[in-house]
Amino acid sequence: MDEAAVLPRQRPAPAVQGGKRRPKREREGAAWVFLSPWVLGAAVLTLLPMAVSLYLSFTDYDLFDPPSWVGLRNYTQMFTEDPRLLRSVLNTLLYVLVAVPLQLALALAVAVALKSMKRGKGFYRSAFYAPSLLGASMSIALVWRALFNDGGTVDNVLGSLGLHTGGWVNRPGWALLSVALLTVWQFGAPMVIFLAGLQQIPKELYEAASVDGAGRWRQFVSITLPMLSPVLFFNLVLQTIQAFQVFTPAFAVSGGRGGPADSTLFYTLYLYDRGFTASHMGYASAMAWVLLIAIAIVTAVLFRTSRSWVFYANEEGR
Amino acid sequence: MRRPITLAAMALALCLALAGCGGGGASTAADSKVTLRFTWWGNADRAARTEKAVAAFERANPGIDIQTSYSTYESYKQKLATQAAGGDVPDLIQLDYRQISQYAGSDVLLDLGTQRKALPTEDMDSGLLKTGQVGGVQYALPMGVGTQALAYDKEAWRKAGLRAPKPGWTWEEWADALRKLKAAGYERPMTDPGSMEDWFEVWLRGQGKRLYGADGQAAFSAADLARFWAFTSKLRKEGLVSRAEDTTQMAGSVEDSPMGRKRAVAEFNWDAPSAGYEAMYGDRLALAPMPAGPDGTPGQYYKPSMLLGIAAGSTHPREAARFLDFLLNSDAAADILGVDRGTPVNGRQRTRVLPKVTGFQQQVAGLQESLEGKLKDPPAAPPRGDNGLQSTFQRDYDQVAFEQASPREVAEDFLTEARTELRP
Repeated sequence: MDEAAVLPRQRPAPAVQGGKRRPKREREGAAWVFLSPWVLGAAVLTLLPMAVSLYLSFTDYDLFDPPSWVGLRNYTQMFTEDPRLLRSVLNTLLYVLVAVPLQLALALAVAVALKSMKRGKGFYRSAFYAPSLLGASMSIALVWRALFNDGGTVDNVLGSLGLHTGGWVNRPGWALLSVALLTVWQFGAPMVIFLAGLQQIPKELYEAASVDGAGRWRQFVSITLPMLSPVLFFNLVLQTIQAFQVFTPAFAVSGGRGGPADSTLFYTLYLYDRGFTASHMGYASAMAWVLLIAIAIVTAVLFRTSRSWVFYANEEGR
Repeated sequence: MRRPITLAAMALALCLALAGCGGGGASTAADSKVTLRFTWWGNADRAARTEKAVAAFERANPGIDIQTSYSTYESYKQKLATQAAGGDVPDLIQLDYRQISQYAGSDVLLDLGTQRKALPTEDMDSGLLKTGQVGGVQYALPMGVGTQALAYDKEAWRKAGLRAPKPGWTWEEWADALRKLKAAGYERPMTDPGSMEDWFEVWLRGQGKRLYGADGQAAFSAADLARFWAFTSKLRKEGLVSRAEDTTQMAGSVEDSPMGRKRAVAEFNWDAPSAGYEAMYGDRLALAPMPAGPDGTPGQYYKPSMLLGIAAGSTHPREAARFLDFLLNSDAAADILGVDRGTPVNGRQRTRVLPKVTGFQQQVAGLQESLEGKLKDPPAAPPRGDNGLQSTFQRDYDQVAFEQASPREVAEDFLTEARTELRP
């Protein structure tokens, strides 16, 4: 694989030029014809369900009887009388705070190591990226459950070293950590983006720094990190949004219930539980909208803080 | 050169997208066969037997093609509810006793009275036929009869010097048996029954109480539930039932349960699904009746193990009825299915099948024969909303088992949720 493949192509769009230009309206018509499959898809498969879900969030709907309007009751119930919802919010926050920084740190470390590699770079990059392709699947989550179970592989290996763990996924204090590890393990996607970002940093900066006698750590802190901060920010936003929506690993590891003892009951899992197990689709829809708004707020906060630490070389008048 | 290729690619993508939309309908319209969809839940053994029965039916009815699919109970339940909401219910569906109230009350099921000619019910037990009726209308037919059971390893029982439990043995005698098993070297011999509402119901009925009243509300108190959980917690602390870490992993299949993982030598289960242990225990596997109340009042009961219904929206109700008739009334199907879905409801099939079963199915037949005439009437179909409570029960018990809250506190929580879920 070549570096350019992971970067957006920066070729200018072919401008329409030449002799006879068709009227603008007609060209737009052609554009819509070609766009129609995607526009239709977005409208029918995304916007329409979203509108329906917004409507359902103000109703009591059990999938069988027609929805009945209850106004804001679902929302007030969420904020005033649902202790398990609070539990799920705390679990999700804890998970985001553990998994995202660990994953990004690992991705950056591996990217820096790979960058300075002379041979076999392509092989290692693919090898580290592979878990990101597999990770979202149910089967990997099930393998994870088997690995970290009581009597599973991890337990056996540690046990042979005299550290009998008794399994992770079946104990309230450890289950969340095993799910977080599954996420950290999928550091391939942010790693590839970091790697691309690293290639963009001008070599002269490092050369100048070594002439000035800066060591590798100093170079990393004073050149790599600031120059990479836009990419770091991009990864941070992307991974945070993804982490808030984590579902499959927790579903598989806990058998769909968020157990043991609600310790892996993430927000999305509780949403699913309310909707499909308890048949409260209205309540689940309200939860989905609150999640959407919460993610929007977190993202806005991240953007706000970014002003103080993200450095865009072009703007700073180079 | 670039542009024509891009345009061609886009045109191709458009064609594919359009073809994708139309593809499904075109191929089925082409052949004149009637296609019926049949979904159920179960394990691999049941799947093999069901496929065989389906194949026999298709041979006898070349004009009908039956497409089957199955999954575990939990996912089946969720998928079917979603299909019902979307108006896309398969022609033939298998239902649990717990689902009847909901599905019959929501116009999802066909009134089977309209297909009486193709689907005679004269040979079926009239008491059991009632389990498929709501408001006097027959919406589903029971496929078999099952009951709760203790599945255990005969070898362990023999080593502990225990005799096979008889109908009427009490919960205290059961606990004493566990103590003997532990003394014989079987650490935590039994799966903790505290996480399953099914076993709580048996315990409750043994005391002359019941889960739901005629008004569809919970008919037991928080004190009742707290006593049951205190009992199981005492056994857990004595080292007689499975650890919380093992109990919490149960997800409705034998493979996830302590006995299925060889961490225990005894476990409560329903009789027919206990076939799942056979692969691990072979002919050491035995079934015994459930423990009874202190005065010998039986808590277990005969329940329709599952019911079959036809979707109200099915375009081929007559063919679907013929298939149901084949499954429930024909000798050919009875011979193939045996007691896999419980003992047959059709009296003629019952007398035909019971003496002929082999292997583990003999245990099921033997258990049911030993309980014949001894059990009380089954409870009425559970109210709507009970479906989700089963999961709540198991989740709440985690709090008890991991000792995060006292049985009393958790029992109060459970009843609070039950009251909201069961609101009419």
